[in-house]
Amino acid sequence: MSARAPVLVSVVDDDPSVRRSLARLVKGAGYRVEAFASAQEFLARPPDEGPACLLLDVRMPGLTGLDLQETLAIATHWTSIIFITGYRDVRASVKAMKAGAVDFLTKPIDDQELLGAIERAVARASAARREEDRITEIRDRIKTLTPREAEVFALVVTGMLNKQIAFDLGVSEKMVKVHRGRVMEKMRAGSIAELVRLADEGGMISAKR
Amino acid sequence: MTAGPERLLRSLRVSGPVLPLLLLALPGLFLTFLCARPGGLGAETRGGAWVQPAYAAAQAQLAAATAGGGEVSGWVSSRWLAVGLLVVLEALVIAGLVLERIRRARLEGLLAERLRFESLVSELSARLIPVSLGDVDTEIERGLQRVVEFLRMDRASLIEYVPAGTVVRIAWAVQGVDRMAPILEAGQFPWAAGRVQRGEVVRFSRIDELPQEAATDRKSFQALGIRSSLAIPLSVRGAMLGVLVFDSLRAERTWAAEVVQRLQLLGEVFAGALERKRLELLLAERLRFETLLSEQSAMFSSLSATEVDREIKRALRRIADFFKADWGSLAELSHDTRMARITHSWVTEGAAPRPSTVSLADIPWVMGRLQGGEMVRFSRVEELPEDAAAVDRETYRKLGITSQVEVPLKVGGALLGTLTFSTLGAERAWPDELVQRLQLLGEVFANVLSRRQSEMEAQRLRRDLAHVGRVSTMGALTASLAHELNQPLTAILSNAQAAQRLLRSDAVKRDEILEILTEIVEDDKRAGEVIYRLRGLLKKGGLEFTLLDVNEMVGEVARLVSGDAVLRNVTVRLDLAPHLPPVRGDRVQLQQVVMNLVLNGLDAIRESAGTERTLVLWTAKDEPAAVRIAVRDSGTGIDEVDLDHIFQAFYTTKTDGLGMGLAIALSIVEAHGGRLAARNNTDGGATLSFTLPVADQAA
Repeated sequence: MSARAPVLVSVVDDDPSVRRSLARLVKGAGYRVEAFASAQEFLARPPDEGPACLLLDVRMPGLTGLDLQETLAIATHWTSIIFITGYRDVRASVKAMKAGAVDFLTKPIDDQELLGAIERAVARASAARREEDRITEIRDRIKTLTPREAEVFALVVTGMLNKQIAFDLGVSEKMVKVHRGRVMEKMRAGSIAELVRLADEGGMISAKR
Repeated sequence: MTAGPERLLRSLRVSGPVLPLLLLALPGLFLTFLCARPGGLGAETRGGAWVQPAYAAAQAQLAAATAGGGEVSGWVSSRWLAVGLLVVLEALVIAGLVLERIRRARLEGLLAERLRFESLVSELSARLIPVSLGDVDTEIERGLQRVVEFLRMDRASLIEYVPAGTVVRIAWAVQGVDRMAPILEAGQFPWAAGRVQRGEVVRFSRIDELPQEAATDRKSFQALGIRSSLAIPLSVRGAMLGVLVFDSLRAERTWAAEVVQRLQLLGEVFAGALERKRLELLLAERLRFETLLSEQSAMFSSLSATEVDREIKRALRRIADFFKADWGSLAELSHDTRMARITHSWVTEGAAPRPSTVSLADIPWVMGRLQGGEMVRFSRVEELPEDAAAVDRETYRKLGITSQVEVPLKVGGALLGTLTFSTLGAERAWPDELVQRLQLLGEVFANVLSRRQSEMEAQRLRRDLAHVGRVSTMGALTASLAHELNQPLTAILSNAQAAQRLLRSDAVKRDEILEILTEIVEDDKRAGEVIYRLRGLLKKGGLEFTLLDVNEMVGEVARLVSGDAVLRNVTVRLDLAPHLPPVRGDRVQLQQVVMNLVLNGLDAIRESAGTERTLVLWTAKDEPAAVRIAVRDSGTGIDEVDLDHIFQAFYTTKTDGLGMGLAIALSIVEAHGGRLAARNNTDGGATLSFTLPVADQAA
């Protein structure tokens, strides 16, 4: 574990015994733990900023685990889900895994298995969180470009030569060079290849096509 | 007729003018005496015609004597002789006149009597016309009395023909003579009855007059003390209604033709009155019947299924009452049309208990008629054709049925059942007019039956659904069992492992360990409770032991799974041994077992790659005194390793199985005293089967 504030693990299970014992086990492993009796209760909590892991019972009255998974998929990207279930339901587990669940564990759950799954989930959530942060940063950089710089940026990443860009925009080749230098600087790109990657991650290329 | 002398005296008394006649005759005698010659006062103007020849002869003799006297006129003695002769002749004439007078008087008396009789007959006839129906019998009896008294007979009886024989309807006898017994045994008077049936009058003054061929009749008459008898057939428009019989027991007597004629006339009047009464009664009866029928018909249309039963029974009783039948019943044909199940029955008090089913094989001839939509009725079993209906006749005799009317109940061309009214002992005629109306009631009942059948079908469907529900609870039960056990087990495991971690860490928190252990204990108790509750649940189902037809039970399961099998592209075949003895058991639980085996078989077929996708449900007689029910699948078969364990709880070879199905099945079969077994087929797949002991019928 890093020295940062411990990752939050949320336990959602309608059975109080199960909920309590799982929370205890997870807490004993050094995580922050919150326990909820239903999916609705979980959704009603104040959102946590950091990467998170969710231990979710498949079968619950009201919103099921799978319903909650769908809801969360729209809201956040950095919450990994581990499903826990009373019995092996192949169809439900396939659906859950396709929807991005980290694991599908059958009760009763061995602690090694559970903690392993949580670790993987946390790692994935952290990675997702980092990725998210990065994209946000690239987008912030793009926002600093002037309209002309943005036009040059968009054409540079398509692989066009300065001469072609100048012709396209109706400006001199020299002006294109100046804009291009500004773009490289503002985007903090060391090479054209890096600039293209940033454009890709920032959603520029897909947006253009 | 009465003796002559008495009659003569009476005539003399009646003939008042004999003396004046004599006075008239004497001067004639005197004149004859004086004149003593022909041409004198004659007697032509007096006396009857029969006197004339004698008178003429006397006069001729007188004339001859006078003529002779001419030749011997000198003889005084001859003259006196002539006078003497004349006197004698005159005396003869007078005697003749007297006799004539007597005869005339007698004839006049007869005429008067005949007139009186005729007026009696016409009076009796006239009286019968305005008489109300209830008084017809009384009036006829009074008429018989008057006729008997008038004709100085001993007894008169009006005998009516009824389908079962003859009944003395009205009788009257003078004091000292018994009335005729109310019922005449058939065959007592074969000869007389035969003639009366042909419309002939039978009469005899002495028993000797009866011909040789009437020996039986003669004996019967003698036994009854009848010495003379007159029997007049009573018929209306050619139909024989009965016979009017007059008897003389104390003396022999003759039956004058004109008396017979008059009595025949009287007979016609009586017959007319009786017929009128019969028709009016019939009309009233029909009206009553129509009312009854329409009441019943109207009633049924507005009844609920539960009320229908009661009302059908009531209707049966009312109609049976009406027909004076002893047994009214409504029967439904079974689906395989082998049995008629009597669903509603009304039996007169004191009758022997009636059967609840009738095998249709026992009444083949009657069934043939009923299938053809024909009504079957008979007044006596003997009326059924002797050869063709021999089996039917025997059946009815066994059932004690004497006469019966049976109406087919058809809906949409299908014979659903029968409506039957029977007498047990008494012969009964079933009049056309009434029986035809029974058809109407039959239609009403048929509708009720078909409505009932559809309701029962609906009920059966509901029961099936409930059944499927109960059968599927076994699956649901195991799922919920798994879930409910899993929760505490999960909590226990997690808590225990959390405790382990705590203990392994440096800072041991005693309080938390204690808390964990408390929770573990609680969860363990909770798991135990789940098991306990499950047992209770299984028990609560309550075994309901009844006699079961194994084939029917298996057939029902096949029907329940047929949809599933089609979806799985599996052919389910039934191979049921006929005539299996019944077993005793809980239908639902045993069907759960069969259902479980079938579903297992279907699963095995699903997993098999084989091209044959067949599941056979078979039943057979098994030794000793047991029935075997088996499910044979063409699936994957069972691993030898698994064969020993498949009946253990929680042992499963299925990826999503719990291993509870066969364990539960085993406990059910064992609770029924049977055995559950599994083996692999030599040609692939497995057969799971169980035995059930044959029911002890006495239990």
